[in-house]
Amino acid sequence: MVGELTWRKRLFGLWIPLVVFYVVALFPFTWMAATSLKTNAELYNPKANPLAIHHPSLVHYIDLLTETNFVTWAVNTMMVAVVATAISLLLGSMLAYPLARMRFRGAPLLAITVAVTYLVPQTLLFVPMADLIGRLKLGNTLSAVMLTYPTLLVPFIAWLLMGYFKTVPKELEEQALIDGASRWRAMTRVILPLCMPGFISAGIFAFTLAQNEFLYALLFLSRSSVRTVPIGVVGELIRGDAFYWGQLMAGALLGSVPVALVYSFFVKYYVAGLTAGAVKG
Amino acid sequence: MSRIFEASGAPTLEVGAHGPVGLGRLRAFVEREQVYSWLMLTPPVLFLLAFLGYPFFYGVYLSFFHREVAGAASFVGLRNFVTLANDPIFWQSVGNTVKFTAAATVLKAVGGLCMALVMNQNFRMKAFSRAMLLLPFIVPTVLSTVAWQWILDPGMGLFNRLLVVSGLANPGPSWLGSPTLAMISIIMVNTWRGLPFFGISILAGLQTIPIELHESATIDGAGTWGRFRYVTLPSLLPVLFIVTTFSIIITFFDFQLVYVLTGGGPANSTHLMATYAYSISMGAGQMGLGSAVALSMVPVLGLLLVLLTIYVRKD
Amino acid sequence: MAQPAPPKASRRDFLKLAAGAATVATGPFISRHAQAKPTTITFARESSYVKNFDEHFQKVLIPAYQKSTGIKIEYQIQAAGGGAVPQLVSMVENKSGADLAWVQQEWLYRDALVDVSDIAEAVGKEQGGWYDEIKALSVDNGKWKSVPQANIGQVMVYRKDWFDEAGIKKFPDTWDEFLEAGIKLKAKGHPFGMSMGHGFADNYSWLYPLLWSYGVTVMDKTGKKVALDSSETAKAVDFVRRLYKEACIEDCVGWLDPHNNKAFLTSQISCTNNAYSIMVSAKRDLPEMGKVIDHALNPKGPTGQRYHSLVPVTHGVFAYGPDPQAAKDFLRWIMDPKQYRPWISSGDMYFAPYLHAFDKFPDWDIEPRVKPFQKVLETGKLTSWPAPANRAHGAVVNRWVVIDMFSKACTGAPTKSVIAEAVGQLKQIYGVA
Repeated sequence: MVGELTWRKRLFGLWIPLVVFYVVALFPFTWMAATSLKTNAELYNPKANPLAIHHPSLVHYIDLLTETNFVTWAVNTMMVAVVATAISLLLGSMLAYPLARMRFRGAPLLAITVAVTYLVPQTLLFVPMADLIGRLKLGNTLSAVMLTYPTLLVPFIAWLLMGYFKTVPKELEEQALIDGASRWRAMTRVILPLCMPGFISAGIFAFTLAQNEFLYALLFLSRSSVRTVPIGVVGELIRGDAFYWGQLMAGALLGSVPVALVYSFFVKYYVAGLTAGAVKG
Repeated sequence: MSRIFEASGAPTLEVGAHGPVGLGRLRAFVEREQVYSWLMLTPPVLFLLAFLGYPFFYGVYLSFFHREVAGAASFVGLRNFVTLANDPIFWQSVGNTVKFTAAATVLKAVGGLCMALVMNQNFRMKAFSRAMLLLPFIVPTVLSTVAWQWILDPGMGLFNRLLVVSGLANPGPSWLGSPTLAMISIIMVNTWRGLPFFGISILAGLQTIPIELHESATIDGAGTWGRFRYVTLPSLLPVLFIVTTFSIIITFFDFQLVYVLTGGGPANSTHLMATYAYSISMGAGQMGLGSAVALSMVPVLGLLLVLLTIYVRKD
Repeated sequence: MAQPAPPKASRRDFLKLAAGAATVATGPFISRHAQAKPTTITFARESSYVKNFDEHFQKVLIPAYQKSTGIKIEYQIQAAGGGAVPQLVSMVENKSGADLAWVQQEWLYRDALVDVSDIAEAVGKEQGGWYDEIKALSVDNGKWKSVPQANIGQVMVYRKDWFDEAGIKKFPDTWDEFLEAGIKLKAKGHPFGMSMGHGFADNYSWLYPLLWSYGVTVMDKTGKKVALDSSETAKAVDFVRRLYKEACIEDCVGWLDPHNNKAFLTSQISCTNNAYSIMVSAKRDLPEMGKVIDHALNPKGPTGQRYHSLVPVTHGVFAYGPDPQAAKDFLRWIMDPKQYRPWISSGDMYFAPYLHAFDKFPDWDIEPRVKPFQKVLETGKLTSWPAPANRAHGAVVNRWVVIDMFSKACTGAPTKSVIAEAVGQLKQIYGVA
């Protein structure tokens, strides 16, 4: 009796919703994959099944890799995302930790100021930002985006981390201090490790936003060799009024692969960090 | 002296006023909550002041000027805002942005919660699923949006092909051509993209709920639904609030999606405040007016968030 | 009028702080990406639809120039679809960027361009003289601020096979005939697809000519009076509404520039207004379709006139550059017939020069169906016509004031109110009563 109930619960509570989520999340990718493997002739055929490929061809991938700077763009994108994420996590946690766990004069004011910075749209900033980058002579360098992306990421990372930092009970820190540890030790050896899931989520979030950014990259990076994937693909695979659909889709898929790999790698850590936490807690 | 302590491998014995002089006093000073906090805060605060504060003030300043590209600026006080107040397209963009943000956020929150609940169970492909289901969020928006353009194509697109083949509609609707459907389409694409983010964040929140809480609730006789209502949801509230808040902010400021998919059309039905500000600043070269539009986003967003906070506090 | 002093002190402080922090953090980057040497000239252009054109420039012209002068040309390709103008604007704002460029929407920043009258006049003299209309764009207060390179022609592109099947042997000569043809073809499942969304070319290329052929212009010649407010406008709006409802595919009211290409190549529409790109794509990827595509001039309106929209490619030199004269020398060189003619040829006449010497250019005969693009120059007008091509006009174009008038009418708004809204916006933008 119990077995049957559990089976039905699993089916409706797990498997069916899971399949639905898979389909919803992934159908555009199957379409992208199918498109990237079709020749243009098949692509434009109105009678063809969008998801079936009759004459698969790697021509778009080959063209993408050999005739465009795609590989350079992909490398640039990764570099920028990694550096911007690192800077943002560092600055973000330095901002979040005191605000979340310590008392100091000016805390409320600072908290409000930081909160207000979330409300600043990129469209208000991009004109002055371009001015600033121009004055620093950082136009057409990856540093331009490595430095400006954290402005988008730090406030959010800080807020996200504040939430995680707050969940660790004060007692742990106080105990460590009583045991003779310095604040720094208490922070780095006791509190922060418990927040690993928070860091990973925040890092994933920052990484995604960084490699997704469009406006600043569009304005600051015009030389092909310093472009990131979004700008390079849109800039050079859309000529005049024609989209090179096959290559665009190939580029979109290839552009996602390294990120997906990074994600799958961190998801393992995420799980490990959590089970470790469960044991300790 | 303190180095000897460290070398001995014992935990550092900074005992405040009783510690060694000199370096010890410096340490003691740093240990003070005030000092420690501000030391830690200095680098990020400086960074933000330079790279966020300066552009922000400059941007605000610009909105009070009539400033065309490569032209001289002339102070016009509130004239830009008056112009906007009388501009029907401006108000249309405000309405569009609010509608878009509200609808997409609700869908993403509910969908994300469901996804998190499903993913919180134990099954074999869990880690794999987590990575796979995140893909919409990972892929650069510009690229997936370009794909969506074709998916929503009235003749060739996946949606309409399915509708036609299954006999539900023939021909399929004009997803990007009708003002109402265009708005639905951008909401749909934004939801598709953002749902995994909600899912993963809520999942993280779910997994920090101590098992003891669930166990004691079960002992008290609560069923699945009861546990959800009295243990899960309340524990999730902080995470949910945080995630929803900045999803609202990101969605409110959304630019890329509309820029690529519809350019604000048809007939301005999908023009968001961000795309409108951009088209005025960079398209028409009127940077003062464009900055005014962008600046106007702040109070509108602020209002939305205040409403959200009030609603949450009520519980 | 006194301007409020911005917190100048704090701005400078912030800047110093930022500069200091940034320099420390990015020292190595700066030295690696050193300032452009004076022997490099950067040329920014939107990517060309015809790849050969860009390739000819990169593989033939750039090396040739380097060989003869030692100067390296860096070719910066800008994103199509509206990405170029923001970059140009930001270059001008920051006074740094390319040395010369395809100065799209130059009305926004003419003051930042150097006088190139010497080049333009020399080129005009040696190659048959300029078409008058383009002078309205390139000449500002008697001085040439840009040198026109070519026109991207926009004409009616249609499926000759489907038109023949429907019994329409000759492409419609008037808008009314055009509507009739569309109704017939839509009934057969081959509707028209006329772009009316927030693009920059395929909407302007037929809506403005249509308006003009009804005897209406947006502004008057001086640019100081709104001319759109007229009964002819109402007739034009009603016509477009009818055309949309009875002859067009529903989607087109929201189409940006690439959408009609896609729709045409996927056999969803039988006619649209576009540049040469559809035929080029078809010949390359769908040869069967390529054989049955043809081009035709825009139909005539009640005034008996037909018009076309010019999509100009003009090159300008920025004053902020370290060596504008070197950039000018390069510009003169590429406009010299020795370089210019082969370059134009490499583009399969996608680009049509504004010089009369090219009226009988032999390349026009390679593909006879391309001839209409040459004829466009005879009746082609700038979208600003007849008013000056200034900033206010730019604002009208970039906010799609007139385009939205039509698209709103098509999606249900009454004629009177859409015209009133457009007129109101025009008045506000031009600052006139």
